[in-house]
Amino acid sequence: MNILELRDISMIYGTVKALQDINLTVQKGEWVALMGPSGSGKTTLMNIIGCMDKASRGSVVLDGVEFSQLNAKQLTAIRRDKIGLVFQQFHLVPYLTALENVMVAQYYHSMPDEQEAMAALERVGLAERARHLPSQLSGGEQQRVCIARALINYPMLILADEPTGNLDEANANIVLRLFQELHQEGHTIIMVTHDPDVGKLAERCIMLDHGKIVQHSNRYEGVAKACVNG
Amino acid sequence: MFWQILKGSLVRQRQKMFMVAITIALGVSLTTAMLNVMLDVGDKVNRELKAYGANITVTPRSASILHDFYGVEAGGAGQYLQESELGKLKTIFWANNIVDFSPILETRAIIGQTASEITLVGTWFNHRLDLPTGETVETGIKQLKSWWSVEGNWVQESSQGAMLGSMAASRLGLQIGDEIDLVIPGSDRTAKVKIEGVFNSGGPEDEEIFVPLGLAQKLTNLPGKVGKIEVSAITTPENELARKAAHDPKSLSLKEWETWYCTAYVGAIAYQIEEAITGAHAKPVRQVAESEGAILQKTQLLMLLITVLSLIGSTLGISNLLTASVMERNREVGLLKALGADDTEVLVLTLSQILFTGIAGGFAGYFLGLGFAQIIGQTVFSAAVAAKPMVIPIVMVLVVLVTLTGSLPAIRMLVSLRPAEVLHGR
Repeated sequence: MNILELRDISMIYGTVKALQDINLTVQKGEWVALMGPSGSGKTTLMNIIGCMDKASRGSVVLDGVEFSQLNAKQLTAIRRDKIGLVFQQFHLVPYLTALENVMVAQYYHSMPDEQEAMAALERVGLAERARHLPSQLSGGEQQRVCIARALINYPMLILADEPTGNLDEANANIVLRLFQELHQEGHTIIMVTHDPDVGKLAERCIMLDHGKIVQHSNRYEGVAKACVNG
Repeated sequence: MFWQILKGSLVRQRQKMFMVAITIALGVSLTTAMLNVMLDVGDKVNRELKAYGANITVTPRSASILHDFYGVEAGGAGQYLQESELGKLKTIFWANNIVDFSPILETRAIIGQTASEITLVGTWFNHRLDLPTGETVETGIKQLKSWWSVEGNWVQESSQGAMLGSMAASRLGLQIGDEIDLVIPGSDRTAKVKIEGVFNSGGPEDEEIFVPLGLAQKLTNLPGKVGKIEVSAITTPENELARKAAHDPKSLSLKEWETWYCTAYVGAIAYQIEEAITGAHAKPVRQVAESEGAILQKTQLLMLLITVLSLIGSTLGISNLLTASVMERNREVGLLKALGADDTEVLVLTLSQILFTGIAGGFAGYFLGLGFAQIIGQTVFSAAVAAKPMVIPIVMVLVVLVTLTGSLPAIRMLVSLRPAEVLHGR
């Protein structure tokens, strides 16, 4: 069952074509890696899927809802209700504790629930660090808080932008293990990454270059090769 | 959660918010000071303007007609006011606005030693007057003509002293300490007086000699009589209603008449004096009254302009600080938007932060302003400035207006801020 469908997506900034005629479908429970060199359009595509940007052309359909006719408020509602975001730079509110950072997402979604937020932190192994400020957490711990925050509203789709890009190997492994668990639980994940090893974990790997999909492969059809080439 | 975010962002940006609060406090303090002074300044400026002297002259009614038609001075037609009725001036509706008054009884006299004729003026110098209300007031030309430059001393009410105008002193070769005989022409009434002071008024009084009223009454054989009364009253600047009443009081409607009567227009006070003193005609000295009004209005306008300029200054300061604050917080705001906060929620959060700061600044500024008002009051008017309760709601409205107006650029920036731009640098 397709939960995401991109049809002929283009994004043009002035004379720069950041994305050109992207077509992509993602099925429920699938883990897709978006790869490619810097400036290939990965983040732009993530922003469009995450309702943080509107495509210049084409249509995006998430869970049967087409984005192109939606206004900013409606796009915000979709992002809030259906999408969980994980950022490379974590982006935690610096003056709120780990627990409160998770509860912020609940607050804008529906209603803060401390027990549920605590359970989400337990899920990522950070229950004992719940009352710590981001500045008191390591990079890996901050990223796990970010993942707990992304999961708290039971999103239909998790968008992760280079989630291990700012982490050392040990922390990156912890975070990737979490994503594997989420995938096994049936979460749909789209992950932007530079790292071929990370890309190998995905079921499908989409290679972008100069705003176009240049290679589209799955784990069983040489995804490793495609990702390594990237 | 809202309060946690609000508190956290306030604490995190405390330095910037402190600057915003100080900017608001400065603007509000100046506004509070100016508004309090402006609302209190009427009395203060009017008291200062009393140096202009009397602004109402009271004469016997028949004498005033003769003066108006034939130029005959008060008292010259044998018409006088009763000295005993002077206390009634402090019983009229606007009694508290009557600051000073002084009776005048004029006659011609000859100085025995020089055989020169001079105008002799009987008056109160610094007279203690018991009022019908049981109170006592001190009044006389010492207060009424405060601009006189006096060499020597003011005359004591009970003494046989006199004050001589500087030009008369110079013309007649008299000086302080000289004793002179005053003779009323065509009568055998004489008096010996000692020159206690020589004054320079810059007016026609410099050719006259001033003696206590009682002595003048004795010399003129007019016990208990006065020719005219000079009154200095605190008045409200004239407006259209006052001018209409001055032109023809009968043209006023009942409501207009009540408003006019219950406002301290110079005409209304003069009217009430006529009601209080038998056979009196009270005439406003319009040049003085209108000058006072004009100066008061200009002073108030100046204060209003200072207030407006200070508020504009505060608004610009707030605008700069808040814009910088939003720029500093753009990642945080972008994150909140990415997590699902819509523009309204972000605006409510930011405006709450700004209004909290504004209230703190406004509160501090109000009390600071009361202090400034006292400094202005003591420095300029040598008197305390009363804190007017009506300033509080005005200041509250102004705090909200200034803060919101100053926030407009920041609000625009917040609304146009796109999470993709600040979170991914796109």
